[in-house]
Amino acid sequence: MRGLRRYAPPLIWLLVLVLTAVYLSRLEPLFAWLEPDRQTVVYPRQSFVALLLQHAAIVAVAAALAIALGVGAAIGVTRRAGEEFLPLVSQLASIGQTFPPVAVLALSVPALGYGAEAVVVALVLYGLLPIVRNTLAGLQAVDRGVLESARGIGLSPWQTLLWVELPIAAPAIMGGIRTSVTINIATAAIGSTIGANTLGNPIISGIVNGNMAFTLQGAVLIGLMAVTVDSAFSRIA
Amino acid sequence: MRPDAGTPMIELDNVSKSFGDAVAVDGISLNVPAGSLCVLVGTSGCGKSTTLRMINRLIEHTGGEIRIDGHQIRRFNEVTLRRRIGYAIQNTGLFPHWTVARNIGVVPRLLKWDKARTRERVESLMALLGLDVEAFAGKYPHQLSGGQAQRVGVARALAADPDILLMDEPFGALDPITRSSLQAELLRIQSRIRKTIVFVTHDMDEALRLADQIVVMQAGRIIQQGTPSEILAHPSDDFVETLVGGRDRGLKRASLTPVGEMMESLPDDGRVPAVHVLQTDSMRLAVSLMLWHGVSQLAVVDDTGETVGMLPLRRLVDDFGE
Amino acid sequence: MVLALGGLAVLALWGLDAVRIQPNRIVSGTGHGLIEALGTGPALLVMLPLALVMALAWRPTRGREALMLMLVTAMLAAMPWALSLFIGQFIDDPGGAARAAVSGASWLVGFALILMLIDLRQRLQPGALVTLVLIAVSLGSLGVAFGRGALDSLALVQEYEVRRAAFAEAIVNHLILVGVAVGASLVLALGLALWMRRVAGVRQGVLGVLSFIQTIPSLALFGLLLAPLAWLASRFPLLSDLGIQGIGWAPALLALVGYSLLPMTRNTFIALDGVDPDVIEAARGMGLAPLQVFFQVRLPLALPLLIEGIRITTVQAIGLAAVAALIGAGGLGTFIFQGLGQAAMNLVMLGALPIVLMAMLVDALLKALADAARRGDADDRTG
Repeated sequence: MRGLRRYAPPLIWLLVLVLTAVYLSRLEPLFAWLEPDRQTVVYPRQSFVALLLQHAAIVAVAAALAIALGVGAAIGVTRRAGEEFLPLVSQLASIGQTFPPVAVLALSVPALGYGAEAVVVALVLYGLLPIVRNTLAGLQAVDRGVLESARGIGLSPWQTLLWVELPIAAPAIMGGIRTSVTINIATAAIGSTIGANTLGNPIISGIVNGNMAFTLQGAVLIGLMAVTVDSAFSRIA
Repeated sequence: MRPDAGTPMIELDNVSKSFGDAVAVDGISLNVPAGSLCVLVGTSGCGKSTTLRMINRLIEHTGGEIRIDGHQIRRFNEVTLRRRIGYAIQNTGLFPHWTVARNIGVVPRLLKWDKARTRERVESLMALLGLDVEAFAGKYPHQLSGGQAQRVGVARALAADPDILLMDEPFGALDPITRSSLQAELLRIQSRIRKTIVFVTHDMDEALRLADQIVVMQAGRIIQQGTPSEILAHPSDDFVETLVGGRDRGLKRASLTPVGEMMESLPDDGRVPAVHVLQTDSMRLAVSLMLWHGVSQLAVVDDTGETVGMLPLRRLVDDFGE
Repeated sequence: MVLALGGLAVLALWGLDAVRIQPNRIVSGTGHGLIEALGTGPALLVMLPLALVMALAWRPTRGREALMLMLVTAMLAAMPWALSLFIGQFIDDPGGAARAAVSGASWLVGFALILMLIDLRQRLQPGALVTLVLIAVSLGSLGVAFGRGALDSLALVQEYEVRRAAFAEAIVNHLILVGVAVGASLVLALGLALWMRRVAGVRQGVLGVLSFIQTIPSLALFGLLLAPLAWLASRFPLLSDLGIQGIGWAPALLALVGYSLLPMTRNTFIALDGVDPDVIEAARGMGLAPLQVFFQVRLPLALPLLIEGIRITTVQAIGLAAVAALIGAGGLGTFIFQGLGQAAMNLVMLGALPIVLMAMLVDALLKALADAARRGDADDRTG
């Protein structure tokens, strides 16, 4: 019961998002009022549900890869064997964050061509940075006395990592993942300019054709999606 | 009360540790008999902590041999070894994301005890250390006072009933009153459970109060070892003399000596001094009472209030010094 | 570390194309690798300095690391010239339609060299002057190479030549967008922060609203602002005379200010609120009037954190302003999206590279300023 109340806000947002995606085309009269001179006032090329799913899939795949790589790298360089790479990795993570995400997206095209794959790679690359940085900060902030006693009690290195270090660093890691996913939802939308099918499609198409209704439809859905995900994270973290 | 110096539980045989060129511990030899409390004392950087941590292989020794129960510790898997040795440190090292009960139960859990047995053990340990199970089992470390956290740290170290307990300045961060009460608690517990304890501190008063055997270290070497009285009576050099408090050590020794050891039988005329002192009180308290009440002798009573002897000032002056 | 990076560079030179020669702007052309173009012998010669660095890295000492630092800098400085020579093998008339795009191996080698530089610098911890010289040598060489026309056959340069005026305008436009957005949000943030300090209750609310804005993706917010502004412009001709329309700088600026407010307000509030109360107490005790306390004590002490807020906000705004090109706000993003539309990768780079450079430059500059402000405090206290 308490669990339900706790997760109510993201669930309600999710419901609103799904209902909007399914029934947005029913609001045709409203959009017709907005763009009285147009024949088509609902984005016609793909259903909103399909775009939403593809957008979510791109973000989810990128996030899963970025979490695996980012948390893995941060764990690796904080072990004895990976010490050598710690300064470089932490420097890269902080320098890389000054790169604008759009630039990373744009620069991935010459290297990888157009399409959803290029978007995913760009999202993974950029999404890594906040995760690496926060995981490093979280792991390095674990009290030395706690680590010492974990060893002294007889926890193996694996047990120390899984039972002690990661749980203590978890809030910081979650913060990094949240930042990463928030940025990626936004960047994936721009990804429709390089040939991925996302909720950015109606927006771009609306801008190009001067059809405000398309733009509004895409914008509302992306906004709802971002708010839903953010609300979910604020409950978990 | 001292245990027989029978089988040594922990033996250090010409043990050294160097970090690169720097020698932290330089050829020390030491026997800790089973059931005794050995205190390593010295200034910071003297190698006492390093010595302690070599016993559970948190640091590997680079020379000599360390044996537990006659077996070389290098023969054991280090993780298995540590699970058999309790370990408590300054600032407790409690896991901040676990409750008190879970913190205490971690080693039993590692050893795959079943749930009921672990819980029973945790509760009996909390009782042993004077922690109310109802009130504390579900609390997190940040909700505890320094003294309570330290009790939990000691309980955790004792959880799997190890024969050996290593303690690295466990009371170092506490205020004097809490520290004193925890020292008393440790002595009380030790008199019941009789573990082999190696205890590191920089505080000679703590060492004098707790130890069966004191080992004074300086610059990676042992410069003197012996019982507290021996160290007080015959400090081997100026350094040890400074550590035991120089000209103040008469009172220190008095505080370690129970009145019972020095008392005389009652005089034949049956006259009992008006001011009395407990048989188990320290000589230091006896002197204080004499000064305060302006008397030169005290009646000595036992727990039941029965007068069992007397203590004249003359006895102190004649026999207590060298 | 250096060993691994050196290995990466050698592998890249071995296996990947160094440049891609395009007969004209759109055709993607053919790639050329080092070995294929020069033959194995000369190619190995080119890799010699890399091998030397790797050999030194095998058993590093301080002296060897210093030597490695110099070698790496020299290689970085030599890269534009080597590239120019290499391109010269394929293109005879630098002014013609044929052009060369920098390709995988060259990017990776450049990247590896820069990482080596960062790593070595961290190990050796040289003074600021040495660092400055290192940067000056590598960037200077690049600048001279451009200036002398050694890289004229590069497609990137050709794209630039065609758009000199538009490029300058885009940069100015981009800077104005960012500058106005950051400036406006700074003024607003100061007001909000002071309000939040005075009225404890509004703090949660203000930060809540601002972080809600921050979660809305940029493209969506731009899109959402288009319709109302277009409607306003059609209703009030005065507004559209002022240039406020659905498309263009107005929604871009509004959105940028909206995004900038959260980091700016949060940092300003923390900066002002975090000043040691004892210091304020002491200042008041010495008889400073409230305004004097604010301007002579609180504000100077809060300055480093305040600048930190400006830095984060500005770096973020530089990236977001690029997206604003999509709704016709101008700026460097224009080239990116034009290039993406025309499949002209070098045009994309002409937009993206300056944005990255701008962000890194602003980052470094404001970091230095914050450090200076921190040190300035110390000087004032002693002097």
